Amino acid sequence: MKESSRMLLHYVTGLGIVVVGFVHLFTIFLTGSYLQNLSFYGGPYSVLAVYRNLILASTLELLLLFVDYHALNGIRVILIEFHQGAAWERGVSWILTVAGILLLIYGTRTILLANSLV
Amino acid sequence: MVNPLISELKRAFTGWFIPYRFNLEKWAYTLQRISGIAVTGYFLAHIVETGNVVGGLAVWAPTSTSMASDVWAATFQFLDNPLFDTGLIVIGFMLSFHTINGIRLTLTEFGLLQGKPSRPDYPYEPKSLSKVQRALFWVSILFAAGTAVYAFHVLFGA
Repeated sequence: MKESSRMLLHYVTGLGIVVVGFVHLFTIFLTGSYLQNLSFYGGPYSVLAVYRNLILASTLELLLLFVDYHALNGIRVILIEFHQGAAWERGVSWILTVAGILLLIYGTRTILLANSLV
Repeated sequence: MVNPLISELKRAFTGWFIPYRFNLEKWAYTLQRISGIAVTGYFLAHIVETGNVVGGLAVWAPTSTSMASDVWAATFQFLDNPLFDTGLIVIGFMLSFHTINGIRLTLTEFGLLQGKPSRPDYPYEPKSLSKVQRALFWVSILFAAGTAVYAFHVLFGA
């Protein structure tokens, strides 16, 4: 992928985080008591209720996807500012890509399992 | 002997924390990177924390609600102390700054809010940082401070 495309995605995911991150923080802080919303059950926006709501669980998955790309690409940008060289840039990109995919799989697993607790 | 690459990375990183003759653009640049790293650290911890609730790395099939509820309660109890609450206030500050300053950077990336090029004169203020951009930088600081105050109220006020 070209550097300009990577950075375009960086800005697009940043704006995506503003939108879905707002939804995430809104459900925790602005829909009632903070402690009630952080309890496991019992309220319309408690932890289990959020994971079992398809729309809210989807926003969590989108947030995971956007933050995963944005954060790891940000680290890549910092590391290639610190040191330049083709091998270094390739190595950093590959390591962070693999780390990003693993994080995405693990986070998605959490959302799916929390959605289907028995 | 220290690996030259490690010492180069270390020198570049520690340079952020020695604000010798930083102008506003350099402050914005440095704070954007430090806040990005801090929020990334929080993101990783949050992935681990929420993953543990459904059983951690070893579990890849649906588990029981009561087990998840117990782990959640234990995690909540572990994190409910002034040290972690203070950490959350700092993360709130960093996240808010990174968001608003990031919007400024996105606008400039697409050619908006750029200063007009002109002859460089003493004291060599960066022409690229227009008045609106300077204002947005200070808005991001104010918004971050407001978030920290709100977080303090939520975490320590009740």
